[in-house]
Amino acid sequence: MSDLFSFNGAEGAGWSQPEPMLGDDAAGPTVPEGLVRSRLPEWPRASEPELVRHYTWLSNRNFGIDTGFYPLGSCTMKHNPRLNERIVQLPGIDRIHPLQPEHQIQGLLAIFYEMQEMLATCSGMDVVTLQPVAGAQGEFAAIRCIQEFHHANGEDHRDKVIVPDSAHGTNPASASMCGYEIIEIPSADDGRLDLDALRAAVGEDTAAMMITNPSTLGLFEIEILEATRIVHDSGGQMYYDGANFNAIIGKTDPGRMGFDAVHYNLHKTFAQPHGGGGPGSGPIGVKGHLAQFLPSPIASRRESLDDDPRGVGDGHWYYWRDVGESSIGKVQQWHGNAGAVVRAWAFYRRYGSDLERMSEHAVLNSNYLRYVIMNPGPKTSKAIHAMPVEGAPADLVMHEFTLSLSPLKELNGVTGKDVAKRLLDYGYMSPTLYFPQIVPECLMIEPTETESKEVLDRFAADFHAILSEDPETITTAPHTTPVKRVDEVWAARNLVLRHPGRLTDSN
Amino acid sequence: MVDQLPNLGREQEMLEAMGLSSMDDLFADIPHEIRRADPLPLPPPQSEEEIWADAQRLLGANFSLDDRPSFLSAGLARNFVPSMVGMLATRGEFLTSYTPYQPEVSQGMLQAMWEFQTLVSELVALPVANVSMYDASTAAAEAITCAVRVHNRKAEQRNTAYVSQLVPPHRLSVIRNYTIGAGIDLRILEHGPDGHIDLESATAAAGCCAVYVEQPSALGILDTGLTDLKDVVGEQTALIVGVDVVSLGIVEPPGNWGADIVVGEGQPFGIGPTGGGPIYGIFACSEKYLRQMPGRIVGQSWDVDGNLAFTLTLSTREQHIRRHKATSNICSNETLIALMGAIHMALLGPEGLERLALRVAASTEATKRALTAIDGIELVDSGAHNFREFALRLPGEATDALKHLDGLGVLGGLDLGSWWASMSKCMLVGVDERTSKDDIEALAKGMASWVRGTQA
Repeated sequence: MSDLFSFNGAEGAGWSQPEPMLGDDAAGPTVPEGLVRSRLPEWPRASEPELVRHYTWLSNRNFGIDTGFYPLGSCTMKHNPRLNERIVQLPGIDRIHPLQPEHQIQGLLAIFYEMQEMLATCSGMDVVTLQPVAGAQGEFAAIRCIQEFHHANGEDHRDKVIVPDSAHGTNPASASMCGYEIIEIPSADDGRLDLDALRAAVGEDTAAMMITNPSTLGLFEIEILEATRIVHDSGGQMYYDGANFNAIIGKTDPGRMGFDAVHYNLHKTFAQPHGGGGPGSGPIGVKGHLAQFLPSPIASRRESLDDDPRGVGDGHWYYWRDVGESSIGKVQQWHGNAGAVVRAWAFYRRYGSDLERMSEHAVLNSNYLRYVIMNPGPKTSKAIHAMPVEGAPADLVMHEFTLSLSPLKELNGVTGKDVAKRLLDYGYMSPTLYFPQIVPECLMIEPTETESKEVLDRFAADFHAILSEDPETITTAPHTTPVKRVDEVWAARNLVLRHPGRLTDSN
Repeated sequence: MVDQLPNLGREQEMLEAMGLSSMDDLFADIPHEIRRADPLPLPPPQSEEEIWADAQRLLGANFSLDDRPSFLSAGLARNFVPSMVGMLATRGEFLTSYTPYQPEVSQGMLQAMWEFQTLVSELVALPVANVSMYDASTAAAEAITCAVRVHNRKAEQRNTAYVSQLVPPHRLSVIRNYTIGAGIDLRILEHGPDGHIDLESATAAAGCCAVYVEQPSALGILDTGLTDLKDVVGEQTALIVGVDVVSLGIVEPPGNWGADIVVGEGQPFGIGPTGGGPIYGIFACSEKYLRQMPGRIVGQSWDVDGNLAFTLTLSTREQHIRRHKATSNICSNETLIALMGAIHMALLGPEGLERLALRVAASTEATKRALTAIDGIELVDSGAHNFREFALRLPGEATDALKHLDGLGVLGGLDLGSWWASMSKCMLVGVDERTSKDDIEALAKGMASWVRGTQA
């Protein structure tokens, strides 16, 4: 065990820095009496070699895509190209301030503009802003725009947002933060959108419907056009949760499906690394009638003029366009996660007009893995205690699919969670567990386009092997991980949320 | 593209295994009316070499803050980040992991975030911290909504929060967006003409749900009056304080003078200004707010063999469990940047933090002196103690002064008229630990020549 707070070197251990320019004394009076810090924080006192070893030790106790297959459904854990990490080290992104004059950040504005245009093209939207910094913030920002749209039309009585019961939790949470009441509609027996339920839910109070397509079950909503017609007829707006955008690029887009607003997850579809929980980036795109409400500002361009300062050399002058008085204002105080936008730009450039291949391979891998899991050979079949069943019956899935492990649970009490934990022993990250909540004992699996056929075959074989194992081995898993099953109840009851402090206090 | 898709060229083999014949078969569920017929009108794919060249060309057109005397801060720091920070945080096991839903294989990030919570807790002198917010603005906004949930029932002024008059408009705009849906009435907490809190008028805020102030203010003012604010507003009102994290190396942390929630921009620890993101907000509070907090929280626990272990906890507050009743919609946060912050804080240590704060304080004082020595330039508040930022009153429009400085290769600061129209003749000057005597000289010379120009 390496404990950060056990490093207790001499005073001043750690980072060497130059002297303050006027000497320590001169700075003293700049803090008024009564505000001078009385006791320094009890931070560790550690040298660089100690800390390098500490964080390397920690990294060895962590699992990422680089470690192994990470089929975490809905999260699109695809490979993160290393070029993108190299690019964001350039001073032209790492060392710039969002409020620098426009002539000093022409390159950033050009990249923003290109990304806005690309996202609009791929989604069938008219205007895109890159300001929201996470998918959930994109949802929130877009629903705020819809709220202002209804307000401008004198329709403040529209106070309800409809979400399917298979929706991501962020959908109802984001709409609720905007002050909306949530109507959750049940899915049909086949897991798809239930149009009758939707018809029953819409009305004069409908502000919007939020839906992802393909759904969290990995199914394309075949009747999406009818759904958008029903909502639009009621006067509501259609919001597209872009979490599953990786499945459809170049094949269809939310614009064609009739959506009015959409968010994109640059950390899913465009390979911004997930970083243990973030950063993300959640741009939003809208149709023209919502554009005046978007967060401000948006990157724009015009033809270069003779007396413009030097630009990026493409004949254009780039600038920030203020959205105007009806804008909702800001959801992040700068221009969004510019570093994530630059990474996503570098990712998109690898594919360009071939982005469609990316989605094809994501869907190919998903269907292939589902097929090999659900069709074991006769010998394997015989050894398996109980096969999972499809989370939803379908011939085809999109980029992800769900399995229910209810048959195994009914047979010998082994739960989805047990199987998920056992997968860790085999060197895999667990799929998304118990989501969507409408599928009992659910595992949600999204392989992404960056896994080879061999990895998928091996995963299926290992999955079958687990289903053939002695129940005790599975229910007590994991066995080979840095720690064994963690007591989450103890953590919630005792709430030890920080280190108690240095063991020996030299202060 | 070729280097990203391992199954390129093997599609047929995989399709045939499933009994399909073409890639198109996979998309049979998409109705014809909404199928895209034409290829995406985008440029052709590029190789890594070509992208790198374009990135260098485009980003090379940007002006790095490090290449010139730069006095633009306004809430972000032109910091120096030790080399090990980025190198360790971007180790693949950290970089390419996601939210640690499976603690058994995520102990590294969980422990690092538990340590981060401790570092922040110590920094601001409050017992609990979360794993990060998006930035200082959403941290402030969600602190207010959190406080209203906690205090609304007993508050005399229900659904009401007061926000310092000196919170700049871009941050206030974020706060408005986040509070409007909760039906929170935002009122302005007045400051005196000298930029200090007006404790007399602050009595108006007594009994409301939350008061949000910043120490130092956006104009860099360290205000002793704030330490009396908690007494003025009362026990049933949350005092929320936004901080400059570096200042806390020499400034008393708000947890020690009555703050219930402390938020702020974590960016000075861990990452460069990065064009405004990704950065991270800190969020710390007293135990009363714990169950209404936004964001991820890591708790210590044990595994079945009794080994020390860490796990996400209090998840019942969160959107993936509570859906529309969640305390926040936050899902992806800024963990990786918080990790960079933790490594940076750990390397600084207590005395390193103090030294860093003293360096910024010294730069502030030296720059202030050099500029106020110029005839015609005054401090907006001559009596104030400043940290990192200070506001100047100029003999002309700040935009003109900044243009003049820009022509001399100096990034002079911020035109305060862009925040408050009435302050178009004021400029916000921001410094950092790296501000050099040469930088200050270049700024002072440039300002002096501009002032002379205005008098000509």
